Amino acid sequence: MRLRIILLAYILFILNFSLYAAVGCDLNDPDRDVKRFFPESTGYKTLYVSISKKGGEALLKEIERRLGENFKGLFETIDIPYTMYLVYKGSELIGYIHGVNQKGQYGGIQVFLALDLEGNIKAFYFQKLTSKNARLFRDAKFGQQFVGLNLKDFYNYDVVSGKELVAGKISQIKNPSPESDADFRAALRATKKNLILVDEFLFGNRYLKYFKTSGGREQ
Amino acid sequence: MISIFQIAYKNLLRKKTRSVLTILGISLAAWVLTSLFGFNRGYELSLNKDIDNLGYQMLVTAKGCPYEAATLMLKGGTGLRYLKQEVAEQISKEPEVEKITPMVMQAIFDPNKGESGGIAAYLGVDPKTFPQMKGFLQFKAGSWFTDPDAYEAVLGYEAAELEQREVGDLLLIPEKNVELRVVGILSRTGTQDDGTIFLPLSTVQKIFSVKGELTGIGIKLKKETDISGFEERMYALPDVQVVSLSQVKNTIMTLVSTAKVMVFSIALIAVLISIMGVVNTILMSVMERRQEIGILKAMGALAKDIFRLVWFETLILCFTGGLIGVVLALGTSKITDLLIRRVLPYTPSGGLVKIDSLLVVFTMGLISLVGLFSGLYPSWKAGKVRPLETIRSEVE
Repeated sequence: MRLRIILLAYILFILNFSLYAAVGCDLNDPDRDVKRFFPESTGYKTLYVSISKKGGEALLKEIERRLGENFKGLFETIDIPYTMYLVYKGSELIGYIHGVNQKGQYGGIQVFLALDLEGNIKAFYFQKLTSKNARLFRDAKFGQQFVGLNLKDFYNYDVVSGKELVAGKISQIKNPSPESDADFRAALRATKKNLILVDEFLFGNRYLKYFKTSGGREQ
Repeated sequence: MISIFQIAYKNLLRKKTRSVLTILGISLAAWVLTSLFGFNRGYELSLNKDIDNLGYQMLVTAKGCPYEAATLMLKGGTGLRYLKQEVAEQISKEPEVEKITPMVMQAIFDPNKGESGGIAAYLGVDPKTFPQMKGFLQFKAGSWFTDPDAYEAVLGYEAAELEQREVGDLLLIPEKNVELRVVGILSRTGTQDDGTIFLPLSTVQKIFSVKGELTGIGIKLKKETDISGFEERMYALPDVQVVSLSQVKNTIMTLVSTAKVMVFSIALIAVLISIMGVVNTILMSVMERRQEIGILKAMGALAKDIFRLVWFETLILCFTGGLIGVVLALGTSKITDLLIRRVLPYTPSGGLVKIDSLLVVFTMGLISLVGLFSGLYPSWKAGKVRPLETIRSEVE
């Protein structure tokens, strides 16, 4: 009984003092957006996770190793809360949606991915993008190039050089605006980071074995 | 020797569930009451802080702006019409004026924000006067603009976080396709400045083709100035509207007071219900212990001793309930803050619920007083018990 009271008091105080945490990446209108990505869905649940709470520094290092680059800048930090949307049809889980913030050339980029239960991309969506050619990037044709890809495909993509170690599916993604190469690379980095986080937080590192065999770039 | 306090405490323990439920009722009332008093204090303090952080006491906008112009400014909105820049020069010549700062707010539709687009706003400020008036602003990185005509931007902390910008990065004004260099990021202030993108005044005027136009002039007056007299004189200027921020504050406080009255009424009802609960609990306890009280009196206890004993029990209930309520109010003040923000149409940016030691002492005192009051009747009733009658009734 005493333990329960202490736990309740702890939860209350944690809630109370963590209101000014780092900014996360949520869907602007989850009801509408979930239905758009999964028209057959009947509901969704949200799960809030952060690297600091899930595994701390060790997990951050692991994620950075899989990404091939350190988290950088003032705003890509260990305490960022990630919102995972678990999408249901009745009581059956049918997919996931997750978004990440990414530094673009002219402003913050928010990349959301809708994934099936195997971790394959069903839809790619820029919720926010500041770019001189934002219209081209937000065109459905650009997003469609990501459909069907998964983390296994992205392990070969080196976020530092912006190239695949061995030409594969990622090399086939066309940059709709070559003069906005920084934003194109930011979109690919955000996608890889997004898939790694989902694998860590939702899939129990299902795709880790492919990282070990992919020869993915160690930072 | 056992003290009267220990006896009272043990008596309460004899009916644990009843005592706990009564304490729970009191703690709920104390929780609501403390949060409410905290809100009463916090809202006004934060509103004052927001207004002080504007750096000026009076805002001059173009006539035709909605009356809520200053409120919109507080929230980072934009005026609809423009003032000529000469008006600022004219105002600065007034003897009562200590400082002025001209501003131009511009908003643009950004089709790439969200599914159906959003608004991006930019505040053009005078690099000479604005930093002076907002002396409290601290930089997390970088500094103010290098040149009054520079294509540079200073970002509030949250704006930088959202745009993922650091000093040296580029920032694009959508639709206009104009590039700016980020030269400064402000530390978090807890005010509307956190979400603002500041640009040099003339740069905004150039980019948005509003040369010589302003949307507002902030005025800081000398200390001894008669603000309402000065306000009247400002109305002599053509096509301007003057909003003194104390006037804005009063308007907002009037709006909020309606909500406060309602919540105070609920709190009052909660307190009344908890008084009834206390009276009921103690009265029942007295009735159940009539024979026991009779024996105590037969053994020499005076009516005032019995009165004190029962009164102590009431006090313990109320004090414990009050303490739990105050701790709950302290522990949930940030959550209460969030809930209030969802309900009220306008809330200042600082903390809305401020609970300090004085308020804690005040609430505890009030709850204890309520306890003493509600314990009067049961204690008097207990003190009046006749020993012979109660002992006889036990024998029968």
